[in-house]
Amino acid sequence: MIFKQSVSQLAIASFVISGLLASGLAQAHPRWILPSHFNVSKSDGEWITFDVTASHGTFVMDKPASAESASIILPTGQVLRPDHVSRGKRRSVFDFHFVETGTHKVTVNSEPVYYTRYKAGKRDTEKWLRADKVSRLQLLPSNARDISTTLSVSRVETYITVGKPSTEAFKLEGKYLELKPITHPADIVAGSPVTFQLYYQGQPKSGVKAEITRDGTLYRNSQEQIEVTSDEQGKVTFTPVNAGRYIFKARHEGPLEGNPLADESGATLHLTFEAVLP
Amino acid sequence: MNNFTSPNGIKRQLGVIACLVVALGWPFVGAATTVPAATKLTFELALPDIKTSQYNRPYVAVWVENADREVVRTVSLWLGKDEWHKDLRSWWRKIGRYQQPWLDGVTGATKPAGSYKFDWSLIDDQGEKIPAGDYTVHIEVVREHGGRNYLKQPIHLGEQGVVKVLEPTAETGPISLIYQP
Repeated sequence: MIFKQSVSQLAIASFVISGLLASGLAQAHPRWILPSHFNVSKSDGEWITFDVTASHGTFVMDKPASAESASIILPTGQVLRPDHVSRGKRRSVFDFHFVETGTHKVTVNSEPVYYTRYKAGKRDTEKWLRADKVSRLQLLPSNARDISTTLSVSRVETYITVGKPSTEAFKLEGKYLELKPITHPADIVAGSPVTFQLYYQGQPKSGVKAEITRDGTLYRNSQEQIEVTSDEQGKVTFTPVNAGRYIFKARHEGPLEGNPLADESGATLHLTFEAVLP
Repeated sequence: MNNFTSPNGIKRQLGVIACLVVALGWPFVGAATTVPAATKLTFELALPDIKTSQYNRPYVAVWVENADREVVRTVSLWLGKDEWHKDLRSWWRKIGRYQQPWLDGVTGATKPAGSYKFDWSLIDDQGEKIPAGDYTVHIEVVREHGGRNYLKQPIHLGEQGVVKVLEPTAETGPISLIYQP
């Protein structure tokens, strides 16, 4: 059993690493969160349950992504941990009792992971190490060349609104890739345009590519995704034609200036939202 | 004169009066600042008898918006527990979530299939008589284990009488809006 366990852990680790090494949006299994409800009308509080997993399908439960890092940012800014966190074989689950009136931000963000690419020897094969700029000094072979260390980090988030919507929970951290809703997530209606603003290191970022995919890819022949690129103000605008649940996936890779542990970063952001019936 | 097609004598009479008003070139059309003091808008609304394996009484919201799509007044609400208020998607998004709790005079219990009649005294949420003008009546009906129909009917509320008849849908029977200045 011990052997089996370690093998499966290795398999998971290699899946994560291969995901990290793959550049672009399409390669890694995107992690995502799916709440049972996005809006609450019950005035004395309501439980909502959340699924967390990683998969290529929207919304298909596939990989055992952890929900241990889940946080709920209340309309007041207070940050709370969820209840009933459990990890299954193809998804994790947690619950939270929503009481405060206003909009809550729910996140399952990753901690930064560092990996170093390099070449060594006669062949130009790219190799990698799970190491930051400090620890790589101990680990790289003496003939290593073309060395670059990347910080990889992902944000997985959604918004839950109890009664009247609010915007305090939209406050940004100023780190990595972030999304500020311009259209309030509780005001997304099928057939009406939606605008989000993308930030990188606290500044609006142009040229960030994003894909928006509607629920139910398992049962259609095409992804039918909307592809957008942020404008000079970091804004993207798109129209969800159908009511339903969507994932917004954005990724930005760029140099990290003045960071002692990494030369560049690869940051992803996956927002789950619903477009309601008009 | 399609606006004045109506199933009963009173409405026909109103229509005739309104036609005459139009024909004579009523001098105050469009000039009035508020609707005439004693007027009201009468709603005749039927919920159809639906034969199905699991029938729950529908949730019903009736409200009025002005030409700027601003909510003027929620006229009638037939609701269950507040947990399900959000199922009236459009009413919840436009009105319900801003005005919790809904315990005032317009809220009532859900109702079985049948014909209902109620009036709006043309008083807005601030308690003022509304200005004459173009309005849209919104009627949203949602049934658990059933469907949703969301009807929007433009109507001019001014000096002239008007009757609007809405065709039945899956979740609504015949609906008439009767305005008699």
